[in-house]
Amino acid sequence: MDINFSKEDIAFRDEVRDWLANDYPKHVKDKTDNGIALTKQDMIDYHKAISKKGWMGYNWPVEYGGTGWSSTQLYIFNKEFGLAGCPPLLAFGVSMVAPVIWTFGNDEQKERFLPDILDFNTWWCQGYSEPGSGSDLASLKTKAVLDGDHYVVNGSKTWTTLAQNADWIFCLVRTDNSGIKQEGISFLLIDMKTPGIEVKPIITIDGEHEVNSVFFTDVKVPVENLVGEEGKGWTYAKFLLAHERFGIAGVGASMRQLNRLKDIISKLDNAELQKKVNELEVALSAIEITELRLLSALENGGHPGAESSILKIKGTEMQQNLSELFVEAAGEYALMYPGPHGYGSNEKPAGPDYAAEGLSGFLNLRKTSIYGGSNEIQKNILSKFVLGV
Amino acid sequence: MNLNYNEEQTMLREQIQKFCESEYDFYKREDIVKSSNDFDPNVWKLFADQGWLSMPFSEDSGGLGFGAIELSILFEEFGKALVIEPYLATVVLSGTLIDKSSYSNKKDIIDKICQGEKHISLAYAEVDKSYDYLTPNTSLDSDNILNGAKTLVLNASNADNLIVTCKKDNELNLVIMDSNAEGISINSYSTVDGQSCSEISFENVKLDASNILSSGDEAESLIKETINLATLCISAEAVGLMESCYHKTLEYTKGREQFGQPISNFQVLQHRMVDMFIESELAKSLLIKAMLEVNNGSEEMYKHVSALKSYIGKSGKLSAKEAVQLHGGMGVSEELMIGHYLKKMISIDALFGNADYHLKTFSS
Repeated sequence: MDINFSKEDIAFRDEVRDWLANDYPKHVKDKTDNGIALTKQDMIDYHKAISKKGWMGYNWPVEYGGTGWSSTQLYIFNKEFGLAGCPPLLAFGVSMVAPVIWTFGNDEQKERFLPDILDFNTWWCQGYSEPGSGSDLASLKTKAVLDGDHYVVNGSKTWTTLAQNADWIFCLVRTDNSGIKQEGISFLLIDMKTPGIEVKPIITIDGEHEVNSVFFTDVKVPVENLVGEEGKGWTYAKFLLAHERFGIAGVGASMRQLNRLKDIISKLDNAELQKKVNELEVALSAIEITELRLLSALENGGHPGAESSILKIKGTEMQQNLSELFVEAAGEYALMYPGPHGYGSNEKPAGPDYAAEGLSGFLNLRKTSIYGGSNEIQKNILSKFVLGV
Repeated sequence: MNLNYNEEQTMLREQIQKFCESEYDFYKREDIVKSSNDFDPNVWKLFADQGWLSMPFSEDSGGLGFGAIELSILFEEFGKALVIEPYLATVVLSGTLIDKSSYSNKKDIIDKICQGEKHISLAYAEVDKSYDYLTPNTSLDSDNILNGAKTLVLNASNADNLIVTCKKDNELNLVIMDSNAEGISINSYSTVDGQSCSEISFENVKLDASNILSSGDEAESLIKETINLATLCISAEAVGLMESCYHKTLEYTKGREQFGQPISNFQVLQHRMVDMFIESELAKSLLIKAMLEVNNGSEEMYKHVSALKSYIGKSGKLSAKEAVQLHGGMGVSEELMIGHYLKKMISIDALFGNADYHLKTFSS
C-alpha cells in the first residue's frame, strides 16, 4: 500500500498549479476571491481559458479531443481548482450531455455538438426535474409527440440551472405512456431559441437568480435532435448520472474553506469554534481518503459502485457545515446580508469581510443536499445496493 | 402548579393569530420587505388600535401592564407569521427601557409609542465590543457633547429618536435625542431576515441635561433587563417559528407525491418530522420556564433566558434546515415561507449572543 501520488502525478499537479498561478483569468479570480457574482461573460472567459489550455475535455477520451486523463489526474485537477477557489466548471455540456452524445449519439450529432462543447461555444442546461418529478424523476410528464420530421414538445422543467444563459437544453421527455414509467422516456436536444420556449427565473433564498422554470408550448424539435433510440432515454439518463458524480465531494474547495476558517478562528480566541473547526478537519480528511480509496479501486480496474453515494452525502454536508461555521464566526454580524451583488455603492458596514460571503454560501449551499439525487435518495441507494436491504 | 395559559392569554393568542392570518399573509409580508421602509405604517396603526403597542407598559404610563408571558405569546405568533414590523426595536428595546426608567419626560414618549406615532431605536452595540453592552467607548463630555459610533442598530432608518449608551465620568449613561440632530450620520443596511439595521456615528452632537435618560446603576440595570427581555422575545419568536416549521413540513410532505405516494409515508421522513416536533416541544418548555422567571423578575432570570437562547439557537436552526431539506427544491425558493424561516433563524441566533455564547453564560 502506498498513499502517495506517483512522480508523474506530482508533475501533473505542478502543471495545474502553474496554470492556476499564471493563466487563470485575473478578473474572474478577483471577483471570485471577493465573493462577487460572476457575469455570463466572466463564465465564458473562464471556460474558454480552460479550453485554450486543452483541458475542457477533462473526462473525455482522446478520440473526441479529450485529455484522456486517468482518474487520479482528474482528481488532482478537480482538487487543485477547488483549492485555488475557482468556480466549479459548468458540467452540463462537458460532463453531462457530451458523454451521452459520444456514447449513444450518431456521427452527425458528434460532429455537430462535441467540438462546440470543447471550445465552450455553446452553453448547455439540463431539462430533467419537473414540478411533479423530483426524486421520482421517471414520473416526468413533459410530452414529445412525433409529427412528420419533428417532435412537438409540451410541458415544463424546473430548477434549470442558468437556463437564462443557455444556448441548448438536453431534455428528458415522454414519448410513450403505455408501459411502465421508465419506458417511453426519450432524450432530446433542444435549441433554446426555438419558438415556444419561455424561461422564468426562480429566485432562491440567497437572493440569487441561478435556477429557472422552463416552459415548452408546441415547441418543434427536428427529429435529428433525438439522441439514440426513442424510449431509451432513461438508460441514457442513468448513464449520465454516473458521470455527474465526478468531483461531487468537492474536497479541494472544502479544503480551501477549511484553511480560511482555521485562519479566521485562530484569531478569535473562541474555544467552541476551535473545537468545531477541528472536528470538521478530521471529517474532511476522512472524506478525502475515502475518495482516494475509490480512485484507487477504479485505477485498479474496479467500478465505483454505490459507494460514491458516501461522497455525495458527506461531501455536501461538509460544504454546508463549513459555510455555517463562517456564519457562526461572524457572530452578531451574521445579521447583515447584502444579497449576491454585494453592497454596491453603499458603504461597506463594519464586521468581518467574510460575514456576507459566509451567509451567501450558507444559504446557497442548502441546495447541495437536495440536488443531484437528494441525500435521502443517496441513502436509499446505499441501503439497497450496499447493505442489500 | 398550573402551566396552562389562562383564558385571557389564550384569547390574546387567538387575536394575534387571526390578525396574522387576515392582515399579514406571505404576500403582504413580501410587499413590506420589498418596500423602502421595511415596515408598513398601516399595519403599525392596526397594532396600535389592537392595543399591542401598549401591552408591556405600566398602567401608570398609560400601558396595559402586561408582562413577559403576554410578550412571549405575541412574539411566538409573530415568529410563525414572520412579522417584520419593528416591535422589538420600538416597543421592547426602547419603550420598556424608558418605561422602567425615572426619566421625567417618559409619559409623553410612552404615550406616543402606544399611539403608534413614534419609533425609537436603542443603540447599544459597538464594533469590537462583542456582547459587552455596559462599557461603551461612545462618550458624553462634561458639556454634554456626544462622540462615538454604534453598530447594528435595529430600525434606526425609521426612528424618530435614538437612545444611545455612552460613558460619562466613567459611568454608563443613556441619552435620548432626535435622530436627525446635527452631527449624527446613519448608514442603513438590510438584515438577512428583511429588517433594517444601521451603523451610526455621532460627531460632536450637542445635548443637554434634559437628554439624559438615565445614568449609573439605574442605567446598567435598565440595559441588562432590557436586553434580557428582548432576548426572551426573539427566543419566543424562534419557538413559534419551530412549531411552524414542523407543521408546514408535515403538511407539505402529506401533499407531495413521489413514487406513487405522499412522501410522508416514508419512515425516514416521519422520524425526522417527529424530531422536529420533539425539539419544538422542548423549546416551548424552556420558554415557559424563562418567561415565568422574567415575569417574576427573579435573580435567576438571566440564566434561564440564556438556557432558552442557547437551546433555540441550536435546535431552531436544525429545525429550519430540516424543513428546507424536506421541502426539497421548494425549500430554497424565495416563494415559500420555509426558506424565510431559515433566514429568520440565522438572524435570531446572531442577535444578543449566539447559542455558544449563551451556553457559556448559562454555565458561568
